[in-house]
Amino acid sequence: MLPGGARVIAEAHDRNPVARLLRAANETMLARSLEFVSSAGPALTLDVAGRRLLRLTASHGLAGAESCLGSEVLEDEQKDDLIKLLQALAVPGKELRVISGPIGRGGAEVSVGLPVALLADLLLIDLNDVGAEEPEHEAGDVASPAPDRAAIRFSGRSIADFATGIGPVLVAWLSRGGQDDGRSEGPEEMVSHLRDFLDDEHAAVIGQLDLMSAQEGDPVCLMLGVTLIDGHSLVCARLHGTVLLGVIEGGGSQAALSAWRGLMA
Amino acid sequence: MGVAESLGSMVKAFPQARLVAFADLSSRMILASAGPMSVTQEHLDRLCNAARTSFDDPLFSLSVGAFGEPHCAVVMGPDSVRLFLRSDTEPADALCCICDPGIDLAAFVPKIRETLESITHGG
Repeated sequence: MLPGGARVIAEAHDRNPVARLLRAANETMLARSLEFVSSAGPALTLDVAGRRLLRLTASHGLAGAESCLGSEVLEDEQKDDLIKLLQALAVPGKELRVISGPIGRGGAEVSVGLPVALLADLLLIDLNDVGAEEPEHEAGDVASPAPDRAAIRFSGRSIADFATGIGPVLVAWLSRGGQDDGRSEGPEEMVSHLRDFLDDEHAAVIGQLDLMSAQEGDPVCLMLGVTLIDGHSLVCARLHGTVLLGVIEGGGSQAALSAWRGLMA
Repeated sequence: MGVAESLGSMVKAFPQARLVAFADLSSRMILASAGPMSVTQEHLDRLCNAARTSFDDPLFSLSVGAFGEPHCAVVMGPDSVRLFLRSDTEPADALCCICDPGIDLAAFVPKIRETLESITHGG
């Protein structure tokens, strides 16, 4: 039985699980400890950072790990032993999982280690190849980092239309900037509180929305609440340079989502 | 039920949940994930950062002052919905989800909350 909390990187039907292992390491830019566990039982734990294998920190169920385990930093003369370990671990016909954790002793304050690309070259593995050995993906299944901005199609509705679309659960709101600048609805006490907040924090709100967007200025909507099912929640949205800030009463998340979808074609 | 099994159950119950991941927000790490979406470690790191940003100022402070500390955030983009849920008892524990825009949030949110509390309390 494999431990919980692991991510599958190679299924039993994958023809080249070593390639999967190296790609997982190659994608790890931030310093991490990666524990690779085979469904057959063996496991290896590697400190990885910046597409380099820094050190082997643990081995389970594999012979010949001593030369690598004893090193503070992996060096060139250990690459053959390491490759043998990786091949012994990532055998076809077995599922391979990875568990990511904080980097351990020694940290990432080294500038050497073994480049993942070097091991890949020696094994004739193309780290960028997602061809025949990869399982079929459904269209849109890959977490693309950012949609092409030109491909975002809008319905022509405005941020004020979004507010209207949410319905009566949106008890107060105001907008700033763009074509809907200065619009508001709701009790003046609530609207003025939101207005005072935007007066002070407009730039910071834009910055926070940018951090949650694929690209600065992209349309984005954030809802924040204790539960989003009951009680009150905040809604903050940006579209075409207009920022909306509002208060939703009760379970308005579904209504907000429906209204948001109405903004996109 | 282990963490991986709990996450897998959510994905099975809600096919429009493309990725469900358990995160430690304090260390900025995704510890486990499930779902049909193929993701790299960098994507998971970005997802975790987005979760932290959602529960950050200035909007976090506005929420605290108005209604109390938020434990749930929904981020809607042009073509996806991300849901971030922090544990009521262990705020660093969180579930991060990427969903299709057609997800039934009213049904999904309570279930994901149950799952998170079950994981946090070692269920």
